[in-house]
Amino acid sequence: MYAIETRGLAKIYRGRIGRPAAPSLDALDLTVGSNEIFGFLGQNGAGKTTTIKVLCGLIRQTRGTAAVCGIDVRRREARQSLGYLPENPYFYEYLTPRETINFYGQIGGLGAKERERQWGSISELLDLREIAGQRVRGFSKGMRQRLGFAVALVGDPAVLILDEPMSGLDPLGRRRIRELMLHLRTQGKTVFFSSHVLGDVEQICDRVAILSKGRLVVQGRVDELLSRRVTHVEVIASGLPETVDSEIAATAVSSRNSEEGRHFVLPDLARANDAVRRVHAAGASLVEFSPVRESLEDYFLRLQERKP
Amino acid sequence: MRIAAVAMNTFREAVRDKVLYVLLFFAGATILGSKALGWVSVGQDEKIIIDISLAATSLFGVLIAVFVGTSLVYKEIDKRTIYTILSRPMWRYEFVLGKYLGLAMLIGVVTLVMAAMAAAYIAVMGGHVGLTYLQAVLLIYCQLLLVTALSVLLSSLTSPILGAMIVFSCYVLGHATGIMINMPPRFDGTFVKSAFETAYYVIPNLSHFNIRAEAANGATVPGTYVLWTMAYGAAYTALLLVLAAFSFENKDV
Ligand SMILES: Nc1ncnc2c1ncn2[C@@H]1O[C@H](COP(=O)(O)OP(=O)(O)OP(=O)(O)O)[C@@H](O)[C@H]1O
Ligand SMILES: [Mg+2]
Repeated sequence: MYAIETRGLAKIYRGRIGRPAAPSLDALDLTVGSNEIFGFLGQNGAGKTTTIKVLCGLIRQTRGTAAVCGIDVRRREARQSLGYLPENPYFYEYLTPRETINFYGQIGGLGAKERERQWGSISELLDLREIAGQRVRGFSKGMRQRLGFAVALVGDPAVLILDEPMSGLDPLGRRRIRELMLHLRTQGKTVFFSSHVLGDVEQICDRVAILSKGRLVVQGRVDELLSRRVTHVEVIASGLPETVDSEIAATAVSSRNSEEGRHFVLPDLARANDAVRRVHAAGASLVEFSPVRESLEDYFLRLQERKP
Repeated sequence: MRIAAVAMNTFREAVRDKVLYVLLFFAGATILGSKALGWVSVGQDEKIIIDISLAATSLFGVLIAVFVGTSLVYKEIDKRTIYTILSRPMWRYEFVLGKYLGLAMLIGVVTLVMAAMAAAYIAVMGGHVGLTYLQAVLLIYCQLLLVTALSVLLSSLTSPILGAMIVFSCYVLGHATGIMINMPPRFDGTFVKSAFETAYYVIPNLSHFNIRAEAANGATVPGTYVLWTMAYGAAYTALLLVLAAFSFENKDV
C-alpha cells in the first residue's frame, strides 16, 4: 500500500462566472511509498499547494482520486494518519505553544495523559521548552515554522505533508528541518514535502516528482534522475608532452594550466576515457578524473525549457 | 470532545479580546445612565431603569453576536488558522458547531453579567426585580442565540461586512413584522408587496422575544408563552445551524 497515491487528479478552481478557468492541476498520477522522503518540486504556481490541499481535505478535487494510506482523502479517516504543515503556518496569536499543542491534541481526540506525553516528546524534539509560555503573537518566522512542525507531529501521524517547510528560513534553520526529516524517516514515517529549493531536495530525498503548470513532468529516484546526465568531465594531468597535450586539447571543451598540471574539461565520458588512455600511453601522470553530474537544478531547468 | 475544544478555544479568544471589555463598559454606562432619564417621577424610576437595562442587554448582546459572529468562520479562513484545524480527523460540522457554541457561551456570560449588574443597580435604588425580569432575560438570550446562528451561517458564506448588513436587516425586519404584512394598499400586486410577504414568512418574528414592557410594569407572563417562544427560537436556531454546516461541508478553504 502506498502512503500517498493519486490517480488522474485534477483541480479547476471556480473562476469568475461564465469564464471557465484553466486547470491548476491536471491528470496527476503520483505514488509515494511508505517510509520515503519524497520531494515535490515545481516553480511558483505549478500546483504544489493545490495538490497538498486536496490531500489534506481542504479543497475538493474536480476529477480523479487521491488516497492517504489507502483511504480516500474525501473521508475523515484519511486524516487520522496525516500531519500537515501549511505553506506559512498561522496559529492562534493569543495562545502559547503549550496551549497550541494541547488544542491540536484535543481536536485530534487525544486524552489528557497522551497530550501531556506528546508535549514532552515534541517540545523536546523541536526545542519549544524555552518559548513554551510565550504568546505566538511575537514569534519570528523560524519560531512559527518550528511550532508548525510541532503541530504537524501531534497525534504521531504516519505521513507528514509539508508545504515548503524550508522557505524563509536561514541556513541553520534549513539544516534543522532537514535533520528533522531524516530523523522522522528513521522513525518509520513518510515525509512528503514541496519545495523549489533544489539543493535541499537533492540532499535528502529518496524520490522526487517535478510539476510544471499543473502537470507531472517526471517522477523517480533522485540518483536515477541525476545519473541520466554527466554534463562534463574534468581531467587533470601532469608531465604531458606537448603533442599529447594538443591532441587532448583538440577534443576538450577548454583547457588551462593549474598548479596541479594541465586542466582539461571534456564534454563526455567517452572522450574523457580516451584522454586518460593518451595520458598513460605518454607516461604522464593522471592527477584527477572527475565526472561532473548535472545538478537537480540544471535538470529542472532543462525540463522547464522542453515544455512549451 | 472535539466540539468542546473548539468551543472553549473560541470562548478564550473572545475573552482575551479587549473589544469585549469596551462593549461591556458601554453597556454598564448605559444602565447607570438610565438614572439620568429616570427623573420623571419616583414611581416611574424603577420601570424606566428596568426597561432601559433590558434594552441595553439586548442591544449589546446583538452587537456582539453580529460583529463577532459574522467574522467567526470567515476570519479563520482569512487568517488561514483553519488549515491546520480542518486537516485533523474532525468533521467540518464539528468545527462550525464548536465555533457557534463558544460564542453562545460568551454571549451567555455577557448577558448574565449585564442582567446581574442591572438587578444590583435596581436593588441599590430601592427597587427589586421579579420573575418576569428573569423571563425577559431568558428570552433575550434565546433571541441572541438565534441571531448568533444567523451570523455564523453568513460568516461561512460571505464577508463580515456584507454578513453584518444582512443580519442587521433581518434583525430590524424581525422586529417590524407587522409592517411587512400590512403594506399600504397602493403596493397591492407589486413586487415589493410579495417580497415583503415572503420575508414575513421567512424571517423569524423577533418581537415575540420582547417582554420588556411586562417586566417593567411587573406584569406576569404565562410560563407556557415563554416555553413556546423558546421552542420557536430553538427551531429557527437549529435550522440555521444545519444550513451553516451544509454550506461549509464542501467549501474550498
Ligand atoms: N483559491 C484559488 N482560486 C483560484 N486559483 C487559484 C487558487 N489557488 C491557487 N490558484 C491557482 O492555481 C495555480 C497553482 O497554484 P498553487 O498555489 O498550487 O501553486 P504552488 O505550486 O503552490 O506555487 P508556489 O510555489 O508559489 O507556492 C496557480 O496558477 C494559482 O493562480
Ligand atoms: Mg505553494
